[in-house]
Amino acid sequence: MSIHSRQISRRSVLAGAAALGLTGTLAACGGSDDDSGESGGPVKLTYWSWAPNMEKVAAIWNKKNPDITVTVSKQASGAEILSKLITAKKAGNAPDLIQVEYQSLPTLVSNDVLADISKYAGDTKSDFSEGLWGMVTLGTDAVYAIPQDSGPLMFYYREDLFKKHGLSVPKTWTEFAETARAAKKAVPDAYLTTFSSNDPGLFAGLAQQAGGKWWTVDGSGKWTVGVDDAATKKVTEFWGGLVQEGVIDNQPMYTPPWNQALNKGTHLAWVSAVWAPGVLVSSAPETKGKWRMAPLPQWKAGDNVTGSWGGSSTGVSTDSKHAEAAAKFARWINTDPQALAALVKEVAIYPAATKGQSGDILTTPEFFSNQKDFYTTAAEIAATTAASAWGPNVQTTYTAFQDNFGKATKAKKETQFVSALGTMQAKTFDDMKKQGFEVAEA
Amino acid sequence: MTSVPLKGSDRIAAGPLADGTGTAPSVRPSRPRRRGRSAPYWFLVPTLALFAAFTVVPIGYSIWLSLHKVKVKGIGLGKGAREQVWNGFGNYTDVFQDSEFGHSVLRAFGYGLIVIPTMLGLALLFALMLDTPKARSAPLARLMIFLPYAVPGIIAALMWGFLYLPDVSPFYYLLDKFGLPQPDLFNGGNLYLSFANIAVWGGTGFNMIVIYTALRAIPRDIYEAARIDGASDLHIALKIKIPIVMPALVLTFFFSVIATLQVFTEPMALKPLTNNLQSTWSPLMAIYDSAFLKSDIYGASATTVVLALATFVLSFTLLRISDRYTGEDRA
Amino acid sequence: MTPLTLTADATGRAGRARRTAWVPTLVLLLGTLYCLVPIAWVVIAATKNRSELFSTFSFAPGTGLLDNVSDLTAYRDGIYWQWMANSAFYAGAGALLSAAVSAAGGYALGRYSFRGREAIFKMILAGVLVPSVVLAVPQYLLLSKTGLADSYWSMLLPSILSPYGVYLVRIYAAASVPAELMEAARMDGASEWRIFSRIAVPMMMPGLITVFLFQFVAIWNNFLLPFVMLADDTKFPITLGLYTLLAQGASQPALYTLVITGCLLAILPLIALFLVIQRFWSLDLLSGSIKS
Repeated sequence: MSIHSRQISRRSVLAGAAALGLTGTLAACGGSDDDSGESGGPVKLTYWSWAPNMEKVAAIWNKKNPDITVTVSKQASGAEILSKLITAKKAGNAPDLIQVEYQSLPTLVSNDVLADISKYAGDTKSDFSEGLWGMVTLGTDAVYAIPQDSGPLMFYYREDLFKKHGLSVPKTWTEFAETARAAKKAVPDAYLTTFSSNDPGLFAGLAQQAGGKWWTVDGSGKWTVGVDDAATKKVTEFWGGLVQEGVIDNQPMYTPPWNQALNKGTHLAWVSAVWAPGVLVSSAPETKGKWRMAPLPQWKAGDNVTGSWGGSSTGVSTDSKHAEAAAKFARWINTDPQALAALVKEVAIYPAATKGQSGDILTTPEFFSNQKDFYTTAAEIAATTAASAWGPNVQTTYTAFQDNFGKATKAKKETQFVSALGTMQAKTFDDMKKQGFEVAEA
Repeated sequence: MTSVPLKGSDRIAAGPLADGTGTAPSVRPSRPRRRGRSAPYWFLVPTLALFAAFTVVPIGYSIWLSLHKVKVKGIGLGKGAREQVWNGFGNYTDVFQDSEFGHSVLRAFGYGLIVIPTMLGLALLFALMLDTPKARSAPLARLMIFLPYAVPGIIAALMWGFLYLPDVSPFYYLLDKFGLPQPDLFNGGNLYLSFANIAVWGGTGFNMIVIYTALRAIPRDIYEAARIDGASDLHIALKIKIPIVMPALVLTFFFSVIATLQVFTEPMALKPLTNNLQSTWSPLMAIYDSAFLKSDIYGASATTVVLALATFVLSFTLLRISDRYTGEDRA
Repeated sequence: MTPLTLTADATGRAGRARRTAWVPTLVLLLGTLYCLVPIAWVVIAATKNRSELFSTFSFAPGTGLLDNVSDLTAYRDGIYWQWMANSAFYAGAGALLSAAVSAAGGYALGRYSFRGREAIFKMILAGVLVPSVVLAVPQYLLLSKTGLADSYWSMLLPSILSPYGVYLVRIYAAASVPAELMEAARMDGASEWRIFSRIAVPMMMPGLITVFLFQFVAIWNNFLLPFVMLADDTKFPITLGLYTLLAQGASQPALYTLVITGCLLAILPLIALFLVIQRFWSLDLLSGSIKS
């Protein structure tokens, strides 16, 4: 913002606030409560995160590092935080450390919220797979965050019901469609699974698996928006067709009726990510031990690629006065074995760090006691994650997905699915154009 | 922006804010009534300061923001990627061309058309019932119907949300038992009814009390005179009571209109339970979506200004109409 | 409108003193029922534990109330009670400050005549036309610029000004503080502040209590302001806390019982307040301003 605006509003606010004696407060609030200077004196960092129990992990650090204290400020959720961060940044008091979902990284970088911590990153790169590391560098030499957790997609199914009705575990999407039809025939009241218009992250992951690249940018800074590229269209038509056929349900996930469906077996499978056990524990407690996890169906037989659903990283803000200390913490919490163990145990995430995906840290989830090699399989699947390509206005795209696919799933018409995708593309493109990006359609 | 003449030259620096030991302010002979002339202004300082800070300045800031937008340079990543530029009325043309916002306004109107007559109708009905001499349950009913006012809107919406859920709601249980159709209350047109029900439930009590108070203020002799003339109770209600409490009705109508244009809590509360609710269902949700999800505070400011102006215009028009109708002089 | 027809004879009141007016009674009872249904439901639902919630008939009481309350308390180390405390703080402190500010402002407008009085009054009233919901976003932006967003101040400051409160006090002051008393006090050498604090305020007390209660309820019930202003959830009031609990917990049925129990506990304070207050204070005061 220009200095001019700051002077005007500050003057008027001060005038209004003077009578209330706030001047003292304002002066104190101007900066953060850290000491100045990197050397000497204890450092206090704030960490905005929404994952549950993050403060327990931070407590471990605080004990080992008495001169760098990290205080976790629990936020409500991921999407609305973005705006609060951007506004806080404009006011000059963004927190030192931030939990950032991968898809939000370009937005925050574009608003100059995240600092480039490449000079403090050292050899952290080697701790992560190439695909994951690419998500935090955005294809540049800068490092904007350290990956924390990831959510590779896999296929979960009710082993017992599949056996009971003679259904085969699909290895390709074509087989998936057949299994869906067979399931419908065997159990008319049930569905193989549902297509949820409330979860754009899942849809993005599926498009990613098919090779979709929604945003790309070339060397000269020109963006290309391809939300409705061929790969994504293929995914859209596939699911739209199945919903129209009536073999796939159309209700949203994470609602009471959906929980019931999982619990009672009206949904026989779930396309989800590695963190599914945590959800199933509370959504479908009666189905413990009855599920099995398998790799995601492929588009071409013999392929081995998956997408990802969600996942976040730890970034350092440009407002932080202790970037080096903050980066140190970010590195520690995402690569140190003790931190990773705590993250798995307390926060219930699947670590992005390769060394966290194997070994003793991850014990077979109780819910999947029937699948002893759960995490070994998961690690193999995780390694096949396709690269994702996020852009600076993901939230717009996501909202467009929810609004338009919501109508399409309600109507159960494949053509509406396709046009919904077109609307998503148009909205994304128009929004970027309006902001002044140089952008072209794929 | 305020009219507090803090720098007025003819003020005495009396000590109303001192520790109570101030001197008696002197009186100018030419204005015998203006004792402690500065006192009222000092008493008003907190009010006016807050008014300036939290009403005037935000509006001004909003207007200022609405005339700007953000422009991205180059690749759009990293430092200096964005700058704020003047946009004139660009944001406003966007608002008026935004069909989604237009739809949200229409929805708010539709919603209002359902809520306001129902809520005020019920409030009037209950108030009239309370005013009936031999209504047995009056004191209890008066308290119970007013009770929803004590429930925060969001909690009321959450509670009703659960009551709308087929798996949990007793209504669905009963419908199921009697084999009646079970409407999907989260669907399209039914959403209006679902939200309206929550608003009516929460707001009827307060409005009822307002109207009831006005009814109680009517001198009883009017009724005696009317009864002597042979008027039935219905007649009395329609021809005497309602016209006399018309100002109260107008007041409640007025505030209800403003409230329905701002509908936000009910859709937000029910949103997690369904996938049929757009993020821009109501105008205020559209503003919230712009400001906090799209991070477009400039467009959001323009929309806010438009909504505020629309509310103003609507309020003034309603005031004018009501003045003409009731013949009251609103000073 | 047939419901308004009374069965009791309108003219012979003395002779029919015992006859009940059935139709109004019935209408009012239906209204009472309608208003009580959700509250009754939440009371009963809060007694059910997780498995009972979806399986038993809605109005059959369950067994898990104490368990639910202890689960709620255990959730994130008692943050629910922190939310409750926050609500009490925001509403209590905010309403207190609001009553004080309105007292001063309304008193000035009601008991003095000075240049610009009507203009100031109209201006403040115009504030009612721009309800806080429309102001919330710009207020947030401004407070953010001064670094106060996501703080206790950000919730208190915007809630203090109450145009309705000023309006009410003005009416009340004009009606209950006699000018002669003020004159007499002035003759005795009292300062304006003394007159205000020692004489006027005690006389206006019922009106001030009304303003306090009105603002208390308004702040307690407020959802949008904290929704916009606060990010750190240890500062949430109960309204926002319950909403985020449900929004986050849509995926975790375990949280439904917590939300329902939370709802019940959240509405109890205000309902208790109302039941207690209505004995000592007439609801009529709240709407007594219509006459003017």
